[in-house]
Amino acid sequence: MSETNTRLLVVDDEPIVGKRLKQVFGKIGFEIETYTDSSAALAAMAAKSFDIVITDLKMEGIDGIEVLKRVRVMNPETRVIIITGYASADTAELAEQQGVFAFLAKPFRLDELKQVIQRAIEAPRVKE
Amino acid sequence: MSLRDLLKGFSALSWLTPKVCRPLPLVFFQFREVLKANNQALELIADMGEKLSGDYLFDLRYVESTVEEMIAAMLRAITAINTLTQYRCVALNEIFAPMEARVRAILNKRDDRDGPPLLWLSEVETRHWPLVGGKAAHLSELLHNPKVRVPEGFVITTRLFHDLLDLNGIRPEFDRFEQMLSDHLPDEERLDELRCLLRENVLRAEPPPGFLDMLAEYLQRLAAGGEAPLFLAVRSSAQEEDMDFSFAGQFHSELQVPPQAEAVYFAYRQVAASLFGAKAILYRRQVFPEGGTMSIAACCQRMIPAQASGIIYSVDPMEPGSQRIVVVGALGQGQAVVEGQVPTDFFRISKTEPQRIVERVIAAKHEALLPTGGVDGGLALEAVPNGQVEAPCLDEQTLLELAGVAIHLETFFKRPQDIEWTVDPQGVLYILQSRPLLITESTREKPLLSEKLEGYELISSDAGRVAQQGIGAGPAYRVETLADLKNFPEGAVLISHRDSSQFVQVMQRAAAIITEVGTPASHMATLCRELRVPCLVGVPDILARIVPGEEITVDAEDRRIYRGRVVELLTYQATTTMDLHMAPEFRMLRRILREVSRLNLVDPLMQEFRAEGCKTFHDVLRFIHETAVLELVELGRDDRCLPGGLARRLDLPIQAGILAIDIGGGIAPDAPPDQIPFSAITSIPFRAILQGMLFPGAWHQETMPVSFKYMMHSMMTTPQDTLSGQYTGHNIAIISETYVNLCFRFGYHFNIVDAFCHDVERDNHIYFRFLGGATDIAKRSRRATLIATILEAFDFSVRTRGDLVIARTGNLIQSEMERTLDILGRLIGFTRQLDVQMTDDQAVARYAEAFLMGDYGVVNDNR
Repeated sequence: MSETNTRLLVVDDEPIVGKRLKQVFGKIGFEIETYTDSSAALAAMAAKSFDIVITDLKMEGIDGIEVLKRVRVMNPETRVIIITGYASADTAELAEQQGVFAFLAKPFRLDELKQVIQRAIEAPRVKE
Repeated sequence: MSLRDLLKGFSALSWLTPKVCRPLPLVFFQFREVLKANNQALELIADMGEKLSGDYLFDLRYVESTVEEMIAAMLRAITAINTLTQYRCVALNEIFAPMEARVRAILNKRDDRDGPPLLWLSEVETRHWPLVGGKAAHLSELLHNPKVRVPEGFVITTRLFHDLLDLNGIRPEFDRFEQMLSDHLPDEERLDELRCLLRENVLRAEPPPGFLDMLAEYLQRLAAGGEAPLFLAVRSSAQEEDMDFSFAGQFHSELQVPPQAEAVYFAYRQVAASLFGAKAILYRRQVFPEGGTMSIAACCQRMIPAQASGIIYSVDPMEPGSQRIVVVGALGQGQAVVEGQVPTDFFRISKTEPQRIVERVIAAKHEALLPTGGVDGGLALEAVPNGQVEAPCLDEQTLLELAGVAIHLETFFKRPQDIEWTVDPQGVLYILQSRPLLITESTREKPLLSEKLEGYELISSDAGRVAQQGIGAGPAYRVETLADLKNFPEGAVLISHRDSSQFVQVMQRAAAIITEVGTPASHMATLCRELRVPCLVGVPDILARIVPGEEITVDAEDRRIYRGRVVELLTYQATTTMDLHMAPEFRMLRRILREVSRLNLVDPLMQEFRAEGCKTFHDVLRFIHETAVLELVELGRDDRCLPGGLARRLDLPIQAGILAIDIGGGIAPDAPPDQIPFSAITSIPFRAILQGMLFPGAWHQETMPVSFKYMMHSMMTTPQDTLSGQYTGHNIAIISETYVNLCFRFGYHFNIVDAFCHDVERDNHIYFRFLGGATDIAKRSRRATLIATILEAFDFSVRTRGDLVIARTGNLIQSEMERTLDILGRLIGFTRQLDVQMTDDQAVARYAEAFLMGDYGVVNDNR
């Protein structure tokens, strides 16, 4: 995995998620920023681009689908992974339509997320 | 009259009570139902346990819904075992009810309210942890550790704290305060008003009726158990203190408290009120920004008259990677050290063997904190006599002893430790507290970790599964048989082919565990999580790549094993893993698992293995499983319950005289109705046993010469075992595709093998029982010892009593099960008539050796 210099942004209103992912992906060399507030996360994304965005689905204010929509507009190259404890077929379909890269149901193994991220890194980029 | 008839007549005497026989397939079906319900519960426990390994992301919702499912599965398992045993396990309902209530109390965050107001430290169990708080919980663990001396004492539990709130009418303010702490942006002014009000009210709180008398009794007992004069140290023990967060210096302690109930209660109120101290609340809001309830207990321990006291860090906080220990100390009581009141001596000790002092800076110690000497207690700074001012506070021998304790405690708690120690005038070392050492490293260095690791040789990467996350390093120690555990060195990495719950014996001394087979759902994995031993299971062929004794580093986060000691990883561990366990999800799950997953009933052959011995959900499930197995073992024992018409003879090359009763899938459908050949046996476990019996040379056809005297002897002196009189009848095998219950009645001895074997290793078991013989008790006992010796070599848990051998094993993958059953088949043949040859004690070792070497012919050679 070409971890070095891969920029990762995590937004989840549960602090544990960001803390955990920072620990796990920081250890293997990712550049990672974490947010518990989705508007702060979007502000960070407006300031610089990220390769991968991991977002929770249900959040106060701007939810995961909305984060996805805005990321797609801001930077179509950014891969978006949605993680949620409330996965339903409808939301999954909606996310698909909006161009989500992957949909992961909590609880999941960190290895699974690592693999999804690995795929996201290796997946061919859309040439605009 | 034939001998057989004679025996039959003899045995009939023991059959005075008639027994209702149930159809075998029904019993077996009920057995499977027990397994099914048991498995559902176990899988949920294992699933929750795995979440705690740190390898997952989960939320509170997951915890709540899983607990509900688990309780439902437990109730189904209890119902199923009662159906199977015809309601002989109804007591389980009563035993399980309080366990369920405790788990629900944890979910509702009320688990610190029920229980006694006072508890001896030595009587604290894990289920009491929420009641006694973190510091006392740690101390109680240390109290049971033979390598550490802890001053005796008792705990005023959080139960009393809640009683004070209720009895003194403070509850409404307390609830409001807790609510405000979890608000996003509380009214700070109102919050502070409430805080002060609560503090004042607790300081004035009246004790519940009778409490002071009870306290006086505890103090009397404490005084009676040691040297006079007794004074106490009353220290805070808040729920989260020392567990995940140090709360160092946040709460109040009262030292040199006189042993009167009023004085101790007064000190306790000071401690309890400090929960509402301004700085404690500030700290709490920093570490738990999301809020959460908190209560406080107090640990009351005998004061040690201190010659010197201080702190020892098992890792140098200034240089976490340096393999050095740091000690600071001063004369007198340690309070002066932790509060920085006096200058301290400073020592660095190398951690590697042999430990030695590498640096010492001796301070001029003009003052020491000492008892005032009055009956009212209290401590004061006093002048140190001139001769002692410049001398080190500890001699070299005590320093090295202290270093040994620090290394031990670091391995014991699996994290660098911050330990408070004191030495009495006789030079006896006491540990007053041990908590995780928090080290902060400059975060700028962290991104470089992956680059630094590239310099180390990888023995294995991305192989196996994480049973418990963590990082550990030490010399590799290979465990092949359970006997190897006896010499397990402190701080070593346990490497083994397969996992075993018996490893629990050394877990607190192990830096990490690696096994070649095994799953994160095994009993061992559960124990690893409970004791936080970094553990990788299912790493193929790892034994061949590690030389026993060589230093290795296990990264059970990224599934890597390195040759050598990877200092950077260990430093990383010391500086970063703390926050993993701080989330409320982790704390709640850990508390629930403490009630649920710990296994106290490890060995079914021990006396505690009774329904009343069950303390956790896991114990109940284990008990249910073993009870179900025993119910099956009984199946074949009562000849009269066997359906005659269904028994089919086997056609084997050996004269074993076995009849098989197939209750489903044990014999191929196209097999002949009688004289079944080996090739038509489709029962996995039965086929494996037969394979062993048929192994060339294992089955001895010739009859051993037995004298008539011996024969009569064996008939007239049947052992005190319920099997008496059942030596007759056929050799019966009740089989299904996944099950065998094989009863040999070889005339003089009785032998049962009961085994369940399929691809879910957790379900698999082997029960082996052997009794009797045609010779005198000395020879029969020698044969029993021989069988026990051989079975122990194959990792069975074995109990012998005279000529009775009971052995069990299980939780093995199918191929291991088949291999073990094959060995049992050989053993049955090998030892069948061997008691005749057991003329002296040396014969035991000789024949055991021969069997283990595969020399089955030795039986004929010695004839």
